[in-house]
Amino acid sequence: MRRVSSVLAVAAVLLIVGLCAALLLLFGYDGPAAHAGAPYLDRAARDTGAANLVAGIVFDYRFYDTLFEILVFGVAVLGVRFALAQEAPSATAEPIPESRIVRISADLLFGPILLLGAYLILHGHLSPGGGFAGGTVAGTGLLLCAVALGADRVAAFLHEGLLERLEWLILFAILFVALLPTLLGLAPLTGLLPRGVVGRPASAGPVLLLNVLVGAKVFIGAWAVIYAFSRHRGEI
Amino acid sequence: MIARTSLLLLLPIVAAFALTRRRRITAVIGMATFSLLLSGVYLLLYAPDVAVTEAAIGAALVTFIYVLAIRRTGRLVVVGDEAPGLLEREGERIIGLEHAILTGFAKHLGLDLVVHFLPSAEARAVLRRGEADLAAGGIVARHLEEGLRASSGFLETAFFDVAGPGPHGAEAGPPPSPTYFVDVLDAVREGRQLTATFDLARFLALSRLDLSRYRVRRLPGTEQYVFALQESNTELARRLEAFLLDLRASGRLETLRARYIQ
Amino acid sequence: MPGLDGVTIAIVLLGIGLLGLVLRRDLVMKLLSLGVVDASVILCLIALGARRQGAPPILQPSAAAPYVDPLPQALVLSAIVINFALVALALVFVMLLVERYHTTDPERIEREIAAEEEER
Repeated sequence: MRRVSSVLAVAAVLLIVGLCAALLLLFGYDGPAAHAGAPYLDRAARDTGAANLVAGIVFDYRFYDTLFEILVFGVAVLGVRFALAQEAPSATAEPIPESRIVRISADLLFGPILLLGAYLILHGHLSPGGGFAGGTVAGTGLLLCAVALGADRVAAFLHEGLLERLEWLILFAILFVALLPTLLGLAPLTGLLPRGVVGRPASAGPVLLLNVLVGAKVFIGAWAVIYAFSRHRGEI
Repeated sequence: MIARTSLLLLLPIVAAFALTRRRRITAVIGMATFSLLLSGVYLLLYAPDVAVTEAAIGAALVTFIYVLAIRRTGRLVVVGDEAPGLLEREGERIIGLEHAILTGFAKHLGLDLVVHFLPSAEARAVLRRGEADLAAGGIVARHLEEGLRASSGFLETAFFDVAGPGPHGAEAGPPPSPTYFVDVLDAVREGRQLTATFDLARFLALSRLDLSRYRVRRLPGTEQYVFALQESNTELARRLEAFLLDLRASGRLETLRARYIQ
Repeated sequence: MPGLDGVTIAIVLLGIGLLGLVLRRDLVMKLLSLGVVDASVILCLIALGARRQGAPPILQPSAAAPYVDPLPQALVLSAIVINFALVALALVFVMLLVERYHTTDPERIEREIAAEEEER
């Protein structure tokens, strides 16, 4: 019985994949979607002030989408924290004694990793990176610290309660920044700050501001997930 | 161009490798490699933003949460099939003689007890691979293969052959693929073809059903129920022996036996 | 057609991921397969926008080559981070399920749930 259902499942999968392949190869290359990005190439730099066209699209032209994606991220992190809070933390076993190599390299690397994260966030409108990548990199730096020192020590240092409130504060700040221009009669969602000269570090006002806010949110969210998982499943 | 094609060709190979592993931790590490390769491919497809994001997320964070989810530290992992009276589920709880012993042992070691139910043969395979600490559920030393050792026994058992239904002298059915004991119970309820040997605890449960269409034969001799551990896990074996000795000496084993086995 | 190599590999990965999702009997492995399917979709989108000799869509004074389509990259950028959050959430549910039913076999979990429903 299991054999028959496996064969049927494989056949169904192959059918689906074949269908996708056919549709893509037939219609994906010449349809209207294929050249959807062309208008952005000409006008994006002037309109948004960002040298990084992708960042310009994400945080200016299509910020509405990004807003909801940030919401989804926040809700998922909230769900993780909430669901795991119901379970009692695991019995406190001895934390694994970390080797000197891990501890020393954590000492050496933590600063540069945070710096890299900050750079990615602050220069997201000029070079590849942005809030999402920078926030994650910074979160990974915290992860390294947690591996070397133990999650509980790092959490004590960071004051979990404060972080939680900060996360919601950042979310409200993002919403505020998004709604304020509409209320003030400026261009909706991103009309708040000046665009500046393309290519300067202080350009693309809305993109820069939103990069910082989103980076902070992703950073806190990533740490929340890491901490919730490590508390529930034993020491790091 | 060459670099892009070769990286792209590596992707399905690594993905197929990762998804066909038996040990979960190997699959997770495979997926971390896959993420890293993918990030390189994104770079070569002129998408540096996406490459940086994928590298940061796929290689570090996702791997980390998977590793934590399948991590076993702080827990005593026991695998085995259900055996009525020894290790069985009752609603949300697990009860039985073996479970009582194991709970005490885990508490003694300062660990959480985690029980996973798998068919017996699979449970022993998992134990041999090192993904579990102990195997339980009505195991007898005779069944243990290479690389596993048995603890000392804690309860006597006999063995019963059950075969049928069908005319006497008919061909025995094909050997059953690894199944859970509950599947066997269902098979007997429906009167399906069955050929197997059962220990006392399982046979008692079976005998409550209608076995009139099956041939039942008691095999001579008695054995001891044991726990199985890995051959190389001498430390755990030593502590388990000490714990069992203690149980016997204090008489707690008798009390537990009386409570769970009538 | 530019980016065709990426698109074909993406389709192959889709097949591998879906097969893994359907054939593996372990919840954690199913989640990993879902991750492969995610990756295949993202790869396909990026590859569709690529050119043979393109340049990343970052404005540079010396435009060496025509810029690659920035729109798919923008769509996909936040999708990667969201996928991580959703995988974390899914993994939490898997852990809770495993804790409650003591097995990672989804068919067995379904049977247990059906049995519980009957009792009620």
